[in-house]
Amino acid sequence: MSVKHVLTTCPYCGTGCNFFLQVADGRLVGVVPCKTDEISLGRLCIKGYSAHSFVQHPDRLTHPMIRKSGQLRQVTWDEAMDRIVGEVTRIIEKYGPDSVVVLASAKCTNEENYLIQKMARAAIGTNNVDHCARLCHASTVTGLLYSFGSGAMTNTTPEFDNAECILVTGSNTLEAHPIVGARMLRALDKGAKIIVVDPRESPLSRISHISLHQRPGTDIAWINGMIKIILDEGLANEEFIKHRTSAFDELKEAVNEYTPEYVEATTGIPKEKLVEAARVYAKSDKAMIAYAMGITQHSNGTDVVKAIANLAMVTGHIGRESTGVNPLRGQCNVQGACDAGGLPNLYPGYQRVDDQEARMKFQKAWDTKLPEKPGLTLTSAMNEAMAGKVKAMIIFGENFMLSDPDLGHVEEAIKKLEFIAVSDIFLSETAQKAHVVLPAACYAEKDGTFTSTDRAIRVLRKAVDPPGEARSDWTIACDLGKRLGSHGFDFSSPAEVMAEMASVTPQYGGIDFERIDKQVLRWPCPTKEHHGTRILHAQKFTRGLGAFAPVRHAPPKEVPSEEYPFILTTGRNLFQYHTGTMTRRSPKLEREAPEPYVEINKSDAKSLNIADGERVSVSSRRGSIALKARVTDRIIPGSIFIPFHYAEAAANRLTNAALDPISNIPELKACAAKIEKA
Amino acid sequence: MAFDERAADHLLLMREEHGNVAPALVSKGEEIGDVRLDIPYQLITILETIYSWVPTGKIAVITRRCDEKALTELTKRGYVDEKRMVKIGLACSKEQIARCRCSDPVPSKVDFGEPNTPAPRDDLSDKLAQMSVEDRMKFWVRQFRKCNKCFACTHNCPVCFCDDCVLEERTFVAEQGIPPGLSFHMIRSYHLIDKCVECGECERSCPGEIPLLTLRKMLAKDIKEVYGFVPGDPKTVSPLNTTLEGEPMEDECDEC
Repeated sequence: MSVKHVLTTCPYCGTGCNFFLQVADGRLVGVVPCKTDEISLGRLCIKGYSAHSFVQHPDRLTHPMIRKSGQLRQVTWDEAMDRIVGEVTRIIEKYGPDSVVVLASAKCTNEENYLIQKMARAAIGTNNVDHCARLCHASTVTGLLYSFGSGAMTNTTPEFDNAECILVTGSNTLEAHPIVGARMLRALDKGAKIIVVDPRESPLSRISHISLHQRPGTDIAWINGMIKIILDEGLANEEFIKHRTSAFDELKEAVNEYTPEYVEATTGIPKEKLVEAARVYAKSDKAMIAYAMGITQHSNGTDVVKAIANLAMVTGHIGRESTGVNPLRGQCNVQGACDAGGLPNLYPGYQRVDDQEARMKFQKAWDTKLPEKPGLTLTSAMNEAMAGKVKAMIIFGENFMLSDPDLGHVEEAIKKLEFIAVSDIFLSETAQKAHVVLPAACYAEKDGTFTSTDRAIRVLRKAVDPPGEARSDWTIACDLGKRLGSHGFDFSSPAEVMAEMASVTPQYGGIDFERIDKQVLRWPCPTKEHHGTRILHAQKFTRGLGAFAPVRHAPPKEVPSEEYPFILTTGRNLFQYHTGTMTRRSPKLEREAPEPYVEINKSDAKSLNIADGERVSVSSRRGSIALKARVTDRIIPGSIFIPFHYAEAAANRLTNAALDPISNIPELKACAAKIEKA
Repeated sequence: MAFDERAADHLLLMREEHGNVAPALVSKGEEIGDVRLDIPYQLITILETIYSWVPTGKIAVITRRCDEKALTELTKRGYVDEKRMVKIGLACSKEQIARCRCSDPVPSKVDFGEPNTPAPRDDLSDKLAQMSVEDRMKFWVRQFRKCNKCFACTHNCPVCFCDDCVLEERTFVAEQGIPPGLSFHMIRSYHLIDKCVECGECERSCPGEIPLLTLRKMLAKDIKEVYGFVPGDPKTVSPLNTTLEGEPMEDECDEC
């Protein structure tokens, strides 16, 4: 008889809640919230309470498999690894190392991501390493790097408690980041004013003070409009602008045309309401901005993020407690996967691969020659595969067959690949296309760290053994690195990997497993004596002066037409998570949201004669799916919403792969669509 | 604190782990570690989850007065064998009593902590009782709008033990809605009316900080005034589990 309570970190969104996994005789039997955890305060969402239920599911992958005569068949680890190394080596020799793409994972630990990118760069010899941050906050990284010099959340989750105003935009916080949302509710109960700007109503917008609904794809217009109101009414923080920022005159000129009347015509937000929101935000002493995919997933996503940064700097709402610009990261370790260098242009710690000095540093640390050219992003890799330039992909836990835009195109592109290897915990839609499938250990079966959305290094502690022959991705990456003939992959524990990562990543310089076992450290934490950093840009911006960016509104790449009269926007619901591989195998979650649906406004439904619950067909220029209609007031007329979790009616068959030129993030939040009775 | 191995084979307690306070089941021969009594976990809820995995031996549990009562409700219904349980009484601190507005804070036997006087009243209950029906409704609707359907209130509840939860049945609670309707909260609180021991775990674990304990305290008046029944007493049977002749039902319903 053995009963244990193992403290670990939630595998769902990026909030980073800790909880105890209850383990009885090797079985996961439940989840108990951790009352002393400073992030969750002993509270969890329904996904957290269900985080044990998919782990020992009978569908887990338990043996390596190789495709033989069209079927995936069980093989030994040696056979599977030999096949991967043989094929990758053959392809490198024939087409060069840049014909191989490695996908790291926001579901893997920091240590695993560090090893995966090291394997790509040092063992394969390519910077073609990326992960799904490309689809969520790539434009945050590029936008905030430009404005502030650091692409992460400027403040911390607990600080929402004491904000006097919270401007939430493009974030359905209570559904997608429930425990961050809980902090906002605390602030609300203490008298804070919450402003929500979103094309959809959300549980938070219904109890907010000001709820504004913009047409999808018009964010720069309302943000610039708010800035203009703030400047015109003398509500700007002139001291801050003078001493802490640059290029203010350019900004002033850029926002001048965004009169409340123009903004109302463009966005649909009534001008009085915009004025009210601008005043509340500017006049509050402690005002925080929180945003997510509604801001980033646009073909001008980098500019939208810069507009948000402009708004915070104009008012000086940054660099102090309970202020700042707070991108809410959506996956348990998407922050860490970026920090650890799972990006094609950046080494660990956001050091540029095209910077000679940085490259020399990593060549010395890893004792090998490294490629100079920045690699392909996930989204451009698909185009390059289509063009026959990318020949192989090694994929860790990524399910792009459901998560990427324009799935029809993705399907065509990967058909052209000569070799695909996937390491995952379930046979995902992507794994089903692979030549070799490796069974991976999940979060409950390994040690390591995740970095939460507010830069806290959170600890994973192994609670149970992986099923069958499944292995941790860090051991898989080490094994591949060694078998590909590289050195520097002899690690016996994640703690040793973190020691190396800390030695080359300035922000993580003071992180070691002994310290983080007992305390919460947030990066930057440059030395062992340093206690970590809660608030970024306090005395000066990471880049020196904060840079105003004169950005202007541009419509989405696809706007409604006669044939496709609606704007389709996509997102999550509370109960499902991303491509559903984990949540759809968790009975309590699946019960709550078992089938795909499209939300359509009552007035639109009436004119199309569509009843609530009726089956409809939704199409874009790229594809068509059939699903149930939810007739609702939640979405504004002219727009429709589909959650992207459901393979049986994949929203991404419809979405547009138009890319933001700077960050390569696709426009998942706006495309033209039509809806018809099925 | 020492583990008296003559009294029990297992000990369910809170202790320091990784800089946090953790629940732990310690068995004979294992280290107890640094026991923490200042941050109580709902150990009776934890006991229910792990009980079937601990098939033999006596289990000692740190029990506050409310835990004692919860254990009674479990043993009365046959979920836990009373003879296997050893209670280690913990008297709640003044601060904990104030937080729960607790009217009954001292366990039958105090092994740890100083007995303190009960909290005089629940101010919020009093305030709400003074309000008009409309204002009271407005107050609760505003509170329930913060509900995000995490089920923490049932998940962490020591006396919420049905195998099939009525809150997960579509007939009563539609699956698509957040926040769920008023019925969600009403079904939950009425369902617990003859079981709730007012430990306050629902309220403390609620991400929306909905004053669920106040909702309970107001309903508790009904069952006390109408039926003269208070949960947690080993000698009395719930009026909801009584025949029309006033006898305890032979086949007690396991699920309500």
